[in-house]
Amino acid sequence: MRQTIPLFITFFIGILLIIAVFIPPFGELGETFTLFFDIMAVFAFFLGGGNLLRVHINKLRNKKPDWPYSIVTLSGFGLMLAAGLFKINNPGDIAAAVDTAGSLFYFMFHAAMVPLGSTMYSLLAFFVASASYRAFRAKNREATLLLIAAFIILLGRTPFGMYISGWIPDEVSLFQIPNLAVWIMNSPNLAGQRAIMIGIGLGVISMSLRLILGIERSYLGGDK
Amino acid sequence: MDHVSVWLGAFLTLGILSFLYKDNPWYKLCEAIFVGASAGYWVIVLWWDNLVGKFYEGVGDDPALWVGMILGVLMLVRLIPKVGWISRWPLAFIVGATSGFWMMNYLGSNIIEQVGATIMPLLSTQVGAGFDAGVWMILSRLVVFVGTFTGLVYFFFSKEHKGAFGTTARVGIFFIMITFGASFGYTVMSRMSLLIGRIDFILGDWLGLIN
Amino acid sequence: MSYHSRRCLRSLPTITAIVSCLLLALPFYASGQEPVTDSVPADTAVVIEAAPPTTVLSSDHKYDDGDQINLSWVPSIDETLKDSKVIGYKIYRAEDGGEFELLAEIPDVDTTNAYADQEVEHGHKYAYYVASVTETGEYASLETMPLEPEREWLDLNKAYLFIMALIISGAVIIYVETAKRGKELFVRKIAGLEAIDDAVGRATEMGRPVLFIPGIHDMDDVQTLAALTILGRVARTIADYDTKIFMPVSRSLVMTAARETIKSSYQAAGRPDAYNDDMVNYVTDEQFGYVAAVDGIMVREKPATVFLLGAFFAESLILAETGNSVGAIQIAGTARPAQLPFFIAACDFTLIGEELFAASAYLSGEPRQLGSLKGQDVGKAIAMVVIIGGVATATLAGAWQMGFAESIHGWLMEVFSTN
Repeated sequence: MRQTIPLFITFFIGILLIIAVFIPPFGELGETFTLFFDIMAVFAFFLGGGNLLRVHINKLRNKKPDWPYSIVTLSGFGLMLAAGLFKINNPGDIAAAVDTAGSLFYFMFHAAMVPLGSTMYSLLAFFVASASYRAFRAKNREATLLLIAAFIILLGRTPFGMYISGWIPDEVSLFQIPNLAVWIMNSPNLAGQRAIMIGIGLGVISMSLRLILGIERSYLGGDK
Repeated sequence: MDHVSVWLGAFLTLGILSFLYKDNPWYKLCEAIFVGASAGYWVIVLWWDNLVGKFYEGVGDDPALWVGMILGVLMLVRLIPKVGWISRWPLAFIVGATSGFWMMNYLGSNIIEQVGATIMPLLSTQVGAGFDAGVWMILSRLVVFVGTFTGLVYFFFSKEHKGAFGTTARVGIFFIMITFGASFGYTVMSRMSLLIGRIDFILGDWLGLIN
Repeated sequence: MSYHSRRCLRSLPTITAIVSCLLLALPFYASGQEPVTDSVPADTAVVIEAAPPTTVLSSDHKYDDGDQINLSWVPSIDETLKDSKVIGYKIYRAEDGGEFELLAEIPDVDTTNAYADQEVEHGHKYAYYVASVTETGEYASLETMPLEPEREWLDLNKAYLFIMALIISGAVIIYVETAKRGKELFVRKIAGLEAIDDAVGRATEMGRPVLFIPGIHDMDDVQTLAALTILGRVARTIADYDTKIFMPVSRSLVMTAARETIKSSYQAAGRPDAYNDDMVNYVTDEQFGYVAAVDGIMVREKPATVFLLGAFFAESLILAETGNSVGAIQIAGTARPAQLPFFIAACDFTLIGEELFAASAYLSGEPRQLGSLKGQDVGKAIAMVVIIGGVATATLAGAWQMGFAESIHGWLMEVFSTN
């Protein structure tokens, strides 16, 4: 019983959305279900936010390692919630959009979250360098191909590409690095992308059928 | 206020960058601020956009939205141990909806569209044009055709990669590796520009060393 | 002069006026329009600057929910003249015999002579007229007959899509059923999945935890669902080996689903008491806030094994490189082709695209699940046959212009196009 009803719900809703594609009056079902999902996400947030609070309060209470930082996390969370719910300092008062310029919410987003996010993102520059360094020690033919292709595309997108290969005559101008880079993007790269995409499409269909037909049911939990 | 923003921004930027050296209290502080503030941020955005914007303001015109509300409340039932199992119903709804919706979507965009796009004449620019394709065009189209075909062979599950099949699969993975290399090379420059943006902020906006 | 002649002479002005009016009105009646009188006094002559559009046709848009009517017209004949005064068109609509109201304006000439009215509803009748617009007035066409948009219950445009769905789904289901009856199914080894047992065992030996990252998307992404199905299998191994697992997640719904999944795995392993809700924790929805926290967990808890499965974006490399720096063995998989190269460069094993969706079936070892993989292969085989056939017929039709090749190619293009 505890598994049967959920399995039936998954089956019914799944089949409904599949046939909705072919039945025009049901055409907007997908959008409607997306709205349901959006509303459910808010309620899920009560569970998630509650979990965040519980974990950090626990850390504080039991003086676990790094417990002082939990004070910071909880304060940041509380301050943001207050700033957003009560629209503190918002020029347009409670009726205006929550992120109106000048409000505390806006300030905290732009002064704190934006630099933090951009800097985390910029760490990629360093990690790309370290990953490339490791990949340079290519151990097999596949890795070597990956490297060569990456190198050509990289050079092709900078002035160096033309600088190095400008001497190549126009009759075989395809081998000039910028042209070669464009050709690689449009031909072998395109082929590989297509094969991967077709495979993914088939994988999604197969997995979706397993879920809808109840063959795959691990997400449902046991009978307790 | 602007002065405060810049100094706060610089403090947080350098704190995150310090992670590259090793984990340290400065990074831990920045991480704690980020997690707390951003979690709060998203609660607020979802509250105002989804609950108020989509449900409260939309339910008058579309009573069906009450279904979403009921499913949402059912999720909270998880907190009551005795009837917690009812919270699987909204989960089952989501799994069914996601599977059903994306199945047809991927069939159209990933399978039908991609197969259709691969069907091209090899020796002509288009159907009925005669032998008018140049050498490079023939080569390019042949590469796309062979690459897509052998790539699909590589992904076959129910046959061992041996013999002629294995060789074809090997050619396929070569194409796939070129694809990965191209993606890698393509994104490297954009990652560098992100770092340049932050250096610009530190040296320009904060320290005023550059314009 | 006779009485008759005098009477005729007195009626001459009247007759002249009548004949003049008829002559002036003739162009209007030829095109079927009512003369515009609202802005001009009745006793002065009407100045006609342009001809109205003709042949206004309204038709039901097929295969929809009765929510679209297509309108077309022949533009004013003035557009072919050098000194045309027509500057645009206006479309008027009347619902259920009511007043005509302005529906849309076409502010230019020579752009379009069709309009799709998507603000209609099944169950109501709509009539239209189109007017050519000049600087000083509008010249309306004849009205169309009232039309009720029809609601079709089947979209026949998607017939081929339906057949394709039936074929591929049918293949999957048939092989699932066949496998149930005990038929042996071969599946080639996937290195990343074969390594899971050893990877978890390594964590147990080293006394370090396993870290499972299910991507940063919510439950409305199939990749997250795939990650959770794999989690079920991995959690079973973890329960058997009694290893510690950390699972920080970026979405609250994923937290709930993951808890259910791991709990049931522990129950299936006969160790329900070893399960703890704290194995799965919500961090934040913010992409890089989540990454900052996970990086922190990686360098502080030093997991021996890291799983990076699901939907990832730019942060994929940050997570993979940090995992590398703490010496973890990493098994990654995503269906986002743009992130796969980073996983390949930084992780020990990578599941490429389709392998992510096949993983859970592969790990289960159950005949029914393996049968579905065979069904996927049928789909690939069909794609390969169609590609070979399509390219062959396209080449024959292109270079040698063979008739039968052209028809087959034309049919294939009709089937394999999305509209």
